[in-house]
Amino acid sequence: MRKMDSSHDTIVALATPVGTSAIAVVRASGPQCAELARAILGKTPRARFALHGDYRDRHGVVIDDVVATFFAGPKSYTGEDVLEISSHGNPFIAQKILEDLLARGCRAAEAGEFSRRAFLNGRIDLSQAEAVMDLIHARSERALAAANQQLRGSLGRHLSVLTEELLGVLARVEAYIDFPDEDLPVEDRGIVLEGVRRVMAGADRLLATQHYGELLRDGIKTVIVGEPNAGKSSLLNRLVGRERALVSAEPGTTRDFIEERVIIGPHCLRLIDTAGLNPSPAPLEKLGMEKTLERAAEADLFLLVLDATRPRPELPPELLARIDAGNALIVINKIDLAASAGVSLSQLIEQKEIVKISARTGEGLEALVAAVVRRAEAFRRDQGDEVIAINARHAAALERAKVCLQGAMAHLRDDGPVELLASDLRGALDALGEIGGRIDNERMLDHLFATFCIGK
Amino acid sequence: MIYNKIPFDVIVCGAGHAGCEAALAAARMGATTLLLTGNIDTIAQMSCNPAIGGQAKGQMVREIDALGGEMGINTDVTGIQFRLLNESKGPAVQSPRAQCDKKMYQFRLKHTLELQPGLHVFQAMVTGLVYSGDKVVGVQTNLDIEFAGKTVVVTTGTFLRGLMHIGLNKNEGGRLGDFTAKTLSASFLAAGIELQRLKTGTPPRLLGRSLDFSQMEEQKGDASPTLFAFHDTRDPEDLFHVEQTGEQRLGWVPGAAQVSCWMTYTTERTAQLVRENLHKSAMYSGEIEGVGPRYCPSIEDKFVRFADKPRHLLFLEPEGRSTNEYYVNGLSTSLPFDVQLEMVRSVPGLQNAELLRPAYAVEYDFAPPTQLFPSLESRKVENLFFAGQINGTSGYEEAAAQGLVAGVNAVRKVRSQPPMVIKRHEGYIGVLIDDLVTKGTREPYRMFTSRAEHRLLFNHGSAELRMLHHAREHGLVSATRLARIEEKKRMIEEWTAAFEKLRAPAGQGSLGDAVRRATTGGGMLPPFPEEFAKQSDAIRSEVLYRVSYQGYLAREQRQIEKLSAIESIKLPADIDYLAVRGLRKESATKLQEFRPYTLGQAARISGVNPADISILMVYLEARRAAGKADRAVGAD
Ligand SMILES: Nc1nc2c(ncn2[C@@H]2O[C@H](COP(=O)(O)OP(=O)(O)OP(=O)(O)O)[C@@H](O)[C@H]2O)c(=O)[nH]1
Ligand SMILES: [Mg+2]
Repeated sequence: MRKMDSSHDTIVALATPVGTSAIAVVRASGPQCAELARAILGKTPRARFALHGDYRDRHGVVIDDVVATFFAGPKSYTGEDVLEISSHGNPFIAQKILEDLLARGCRAAEAGEFSRRAFLNGRIDLSQAEAVMDLIHARSERALAAANQQLRGSLGRHLSVLTEELLGVLARVEAYIDFPDEDLPVEDRGIVLEGVRRVMAGADRLLATQHYGELLRDGIKTVIVGEPNAGKSSLLNRLVGRERALVSAEPGTTRDFIEERVIIGPHCLRLIDTAGLNPSPAPLEKLGMEKTLERAAEADLFLLVLDATRPRPELPPELLARIDAGNALIVINKIDLAASAGVSLSQLIEQKEIVKISARTGEGLEALVAAVVRRAEAFRRDQGDEVIAINARHAAALERAKVCLQGAMAHLRDDGPVELLASDLRGALDALGEIGGRIDNERMLDHLFATFCIGK
Repeated sequence: MIYNKIPFDVIVCGAGHAGCEAALAAARMGATTLLLTGNIDTIAQMSCNPAIGGQAKGQMVREIDALGGEMGINTDVTGIQFRLLNESKGPAVQSPRAQCDKKMYQFRLKHTLELQPGLHVFQAMVTGLVYSGDKVVGVQTNLDIEFAGKTVVVTTGTFLRGLMHIGLNKNEGGRLGDFTAKTLSASFLAAGIELQRLKTGTPPRLLGRSLDFSQMEEQKGDASPTLFAFHDTRDPEDLFHVEQTGEQRLGWVPGAAQVSCWMTYTTERTAQLVRENLHKSAMYSGEIEGVGPRYCPSIEDKFVRFADKPRHLLFLEPEGRSTNEYYVNGLSTSLPFDVQLEMVRSVPGLQNAELLRPAYAVEYDFAPPTQLFPSLESRKVENLFFAGQINGTSGYEEAAAQGLVAGVNAVRKVRSQPPMVIKRHEGYIGVLIDDLVTKGTREPYRMFTSRAEHRLLFNHGSAELRMLHHAREHGLVSATRLARIEEKKRMIEEWTAAFEKLRAPAGQGSLGDAVRRATTGGGMLPPFPEEFAKQSDAIRSEVLYRVSYQGYLAREQRQIEKLSAIESIKLPADIDYLAVRGLRKESATKLQEFRPYTLGQAARISGVNPADISILMVYLEARRAAGKADRAVGAD
């Protein structure tokens, strides 16, 4: 068991992405923060006040003029003392500051360690805590951004809108169960039904983000398919940047699939190289092809590689049925050999985006990367400014909530027993509570007493 | 002087609804029991409206009856109007309610106490507790007589520093015409028991012959009353009417000669009077510091908080057969008497009303119940139990339920046996006590069906089945009754299973399917086997309930099983929460104070969030691993 003495040391990390942005922020968390601020700036920091001054390293040399903000625990992101130092956005300066802090006894933070401390100090809720796990495992910038937003409570906020709505609806139902002798207004199940519909729609909106969530967490499953010898393995090697797959002039070189994760632009791709597809395969080839088709069944994106020197490629109909303009890019390879690629594939190419490359010379590769990035962006669901990407556990809970809401709608439609209607609404509420934490019944009563004049 | 050399097993202080059940339960378990009351003529008095039951409370009274308590039978025998609430809704939310003859209710209960072997009733006001170290060993009284006891159950209701308000007029006392217990509060504080203030109110009482009922709407009782006690299993000797004591037992017709209640509404003039005189109300002028219940607001509250509601419903409820006094349900107020009088007379039918007693608000001390174990024993003082309104509840039924549990557990304590703890999924009593000891309360706590997660399982007819194992284990009902309950349970289970096996006479599937089709589709129930038709009402209705709600009841069971995982994770008594890394200060302090028994209970403490629970789980895991290592070292 890992000892939970997290707050003994002070951790530091660059809080802004590496690169040249206008400012760079270095963040430290732990018991040393107040002392560090005094040593570096020569002034005692006041909590939550920005302190402007020269950053002097341990030898007294000024590195940059910086703005430092001190947050006293427990009212900080991590629940511990936190120091944030904003310097000019030169990566060299930020690096210098980091090095100095490490030399002063800080420790470089592990991935997600700030968030982990925040969770352990009770500063964040369960769904936020899961976002921490996503952060730790974030594979791409996009995933990082989504995890960050979740962390700031975007999922929590969306959920609380649904929860409040549902509590209000439930209070409308419960009032007539618990206070039958009261002089309540005539029961209006229309209002209840409307509310249930709104919650249902909200749950659907959240559920729709699940696939994008998987794409972010696991990477976009991108399958490279095509005829034997089209240059699929060559393309994989190009994109990975090293000789990952065996390449040879012999058709049927790749027998099993090869998977490799690559970062393309801000996205993470799971690139899968497959055995070439041949309409009349030899027995051994057949096995590899079956596997290829299996992979193809669950792909998010296809890179269909065609050989520019073979104008009439033959591909199995199972594959052609899976691809469409939305999920496939046609990659015409070997343009170094046949410059004006005369591939005539009217039915294949129709409305699909075509990129021409040479895996050998690298020509056209940038255009291919740009096309892949555009496709990946299209997977992102429109959630306003916020990125929400729920995980499988969230989705399971939302599905359970939906089953209950459907039950409630059926009772509303058939004028069914009110206590069963209430039971379904509570079931939905409990399911939502599994995502962000249990919802106390007292909150329903708050709604009830605020809505109805109870007490004869 | 000290009254007894050999201490009583249980001393109960206060003979209200909690005290009576506590004393009876203890004595019936064979413990020598003393019941002290400041006034022996106000035993089991209904200080507010003369009604028992209603939503959730009705079900709770049936649970009390299933545990051998007295409230149900006492209500049945002294009830003058019976109504089953929510009759048009499903069985789970149907609740029996009864108007009682206020005096008869008291007389019969007093007599029951008098006839109970092993129970001593004595009139003396408890002025303080006698402590020895951190244990209670007896009580002092205003007569300078001291009583020694192994356990003490405090059921003093609203009498602790009770202060009554009628406008700006103030009177000390827990109830109009009664005294207040002042020094007892000091005695609690001295032992480190924290006290806080609550308030509640009661409406005026009117003289019936000054009312014009022709201007009101009549509300009659049910032709065939739903009773509270389980007469199908109870021993017949339990049934005696108040005027039938000793050898003489006359026939009793339940719900015979019922009386009516009457409905009327406040008027624009009433609203105007309230608005004009709001500053004179004790509650609105800042005279009262206690927190009042949201579900039982004063008429001032109603007109202020729901200003757009033009009129409010009032019920006139008779207080008994041998009195002309009427209770005005819905007109609780702390306005001065002259305004009350004008207000009452602004209501149709009450234009010439004569007031017998004014309305008043009462403020009183309560001991926040989070200071109690689930057994209702104080965490601060050993052998001291608290039950009823002193724990911050309202209502006779809530009080009686706690009284019964405290009485049983006092005896269990004397016998060094583990306490009776009714679980949240077993009944309203379980929900009540768990809510009180884990969450506490900000307002006088009243039970609602919506407080119970497993409400669908709490239909009033099943109370005996749900309480059976407690009744059996703690010897709360007679052997003959126990046998009858067990037989009933067996029959219900057999028939419930049989419905799924027997073929439906028409259509497809089992008899159960046919029943479910009829309930959800609103169609006709299938004809039942002759054998089934011969079963008692209680058996038939429970079987039909279980069959028709099968899917939902099964879902409840699954949830209970899921919850029981976290519910069964025990929290060691010696955890120093303040030293658990990562726990927020707020939750650590709360956990340190409440010392929950299980992780499930910890999760229900307000302010403890899921992240805290995760941290506790991590901590327990670490501790378990460390403990294993320790033991391994010890074994070397
Ligand atoms: N001239 C030229 N040759 C290429 C290009 N891409 C691949 N090749 C050659 O084509 C042959 C097949 O390349 P691979 O990458 O093994 O093709 P593949 O599609 O993986 O083939 P299988 O695994 O057998 O299905 C090799 O000899 C490569 O060197 C290209 O862009 N230009
Ligand atoms: Mg290959």
